[in-house]
Amino acid sequence: MDHEQGWPKVTATGIKQLSIKTTTLGMVSGMGNGTKTAVLRGVRLVKTYGDGDSRRVVLHECTLELYPGQVVLLMGPSGSGKSTLLAILSGLLEPDEGQVLVDDEGQLRDLWQMAPAERDRYRRRHTGFVFQGYNLLPALTARQQLEIVLHWCGDYRDSRRRVDELLERLGLQQLQGKKPAQLSGGEKQRIAIARALVKNPAFVFADEPTSALDWENGQRVMELLRLAAHERQAAVLVVSHDQRLLPYVDVHYHLEDGYLEERGLPA
Amino acid sequence: MLYALLMLWHERARYAAGVLAVTFSAVLIALQVGLLLGLFKITSIPIDYTSADIWIGSTAVPSVDLGKPIPKNFVSRLAGLPGVSMPEMYIANFANFTKPTGGTELCFVLGSLLDPEAAGALTLLTPEQRDALTMPYAIIVDESDVKRLGLDTDRSQKPKINGKEVTVVGTVRGLKSLAAPWVFCSLYTARQLLGPLLPPDHVTYLLARCESPQRAREVVAYLRERYADDMTAYTAEEFSFGSRWYWLTRTKAGLAIGYAAFLGLIVGMVITAQTLYSATVANAREFAILLALGVPRWRLALLVVTQAFWIGVIGIALAYPVCLGLKYLALQFATDVDLRWQILAGTATLTIGMALLAGLFALRSVQQIEPMSLLR
Ligand SMILES: Nc1ncnc2c1ncn2[C@@H]1O[C@H](COP(=O)(O)OP(=O)(O)O)[C@@H](O)[C@H]1O
Ligand SMILES: [Mg+2]
Repeated sequence: MDHEQGWPKVTATGIKQLSIKTTTLGMVSGMGNGTKTAVLRGVRLVKTYGDGDSRRVVLHECTLELYPGQVVLLMGPSGSGKSTLLAILSGLLEPDEGQVLVDDEGQLRDLWQMAPAERDRYRRRHTGFVFQGYNLLPALTARQQLEIVLHWCGDYRDSRRRVDELLERLGLQQLQGKKPAQLSGGEKQRIAIARALVKNPAFVFADEPTSALDWENGQRVMELLRLAAHERQAAVLVVSHDQRLLPYVDVHYHLEDGYLEERGLPA
Repeated sequence: MLYALLMLWHERARYAAGVLAVTFSAVLIALQVGLLLGLFKITSIPIDYTSADIWIGSTAVPSVDLGKPIPKNFVSRLAGLPGVSMPEMYIANFANFTKPTGGTELCFVLGSLLDPEAAGALTLLTPEQRDALTMPYAIIVDESDVKRLGLDTDRSQKPKINGKEVTVVGTVRGLKSLAAPWVFCSLYTARQLLGPLLPPDHVTYLLARCESPQRAREVVAYLRERYADDMTAYTAEEFSFGSRWYWLTRTKAGLAIGYAAFLGLIVGMVITAQTLYSATVANAREFAILLALGVPRWRLALLVVTQAFWIGVIGIALAYPVCLGLKYLALQFATDVDLRWQILAGTATLTIGMALLAGLFALRSVQQIEPMSLLR
């Protein structure tokens, strides 16, 4: 099988050599032993839109990995397929070809070979999302935005304390009683990030999380996403076309004309 | 539950349309049923203006004017039951009334004992009228029927019932009739007038008083169970309501309100469904991200149905005082709206059911929510 033949070398900051010994993608980073295992690997992903004359290949055999504790930035011009790739990797959109390999309780599985209910369950457990629009429910306070996710995912245990701890760690506790109408754009996006993190997910997928914000707020958002990766060991994928985010990330991919390539980072 | 209420409250302006639609339907239904039931009190007047607590009649008699003869000796079935008075006989039957001026009308003869304690004697009677009625062939009618029975013109000719001359010894106020004028008389007179229509040793009803309403219910339950084959027993309240309900549902009036109530429900449902639908669509992106985060879709469906439920409950809560206000208003026009708890409870059940159904229709909006929409 393809994935048993090993992982490509990743030259990301702080990661020298990847463990490629097992067929499983270890969910937990090998902190202290110097090796890390990818938690998600998109393999030769192909996606086309349209038929006949209007047929357009948006993704040509794109391959990339996400690792715990890393922020990966996916850049590219508008319309290059960044959101499409994010949707495929996160289990929202089915690819035409290729695999999205994930570690599901110690087993290596293709997300798109799972039954829909299984895939939903997987997403429920492991993935958080942040989008350009904050999409907070107008009726709920900041704290309730987080609680509703836990409660409606059937996770009531300790929900109060967990929400408290997260808000405090992200420095958002003073916003907890406010409704979206009382929050600035930057504050809303930070609450949206807190919502994405409340399940303590293995992945955070952020599509243009800073595009609607000024640079100052954009920086704060990136700080939180870094915190999610570096402190909570999430694998974070940020999609953006903003060059200024580069200093905040660990890995940088560029997508253009359907081709994905890894690029270097500013020193 | 909590989230549903929070969202309702936050967007109360939007949901107000749904709530008002429910209120409208509920008021429409309760008031129509109440109004007609009030009007149909006419059908239970003989029960309402006597002081009996228990009515015993032929099996499954649906309304006071439809009782068939029962043997007198059923009296013994009540003998010895504690807390129950000695039962008395009561006759109720249609008869043919010949006006003094000629021409006939259908009338309904009510015959009862007349002594002051008699359970079947009309409570509308004056002591003098009771006395006068002891005379054979003496009758009393309602003043509203005087004209109809041709009693206002020629006094030289006597009216006849089933061919026998009768004497009108007075009129009362309140013994209003719908189809056949009520004619009240003594038990003896009634038997004479009905002649072969009532087999000997038979009566139409047996009436009794009870020491308490609670006891009356117990006795009735016992009698119904014990003698289910050849007679039935009601408390006066049940029989009164049963008579009204029977005529309400048997006549076109019942059909008319059924239809109006149905229309009201449909209108209420469409508006409620539309309100819920548009509210959900307005929050589609917020819900979509919850789906992306793994919240099962049924949670959203449950949210919508729960909101529908609360819209129903709030709508009913508002409808209640409105109904009472309108009832009071109707009273100013001498119109009685009967808003007994059964009507209010039935209305509440119907309208909340309607709201829930509206919620189910609005679920289409939940089906349309797509996490992928967030990426565009
Ligand atoms: N559902 C769709 N049907 C047809 N074309 C689509 C659809 N979604 C996206 N596209 C097209 O695919 C291309 C990539 O879209 P997208 O992934 O949103 O790009 P990006 O996020 O990089 O701006 C765009 O040209 C877009 O118009
Ligand atoms: Mg995009």
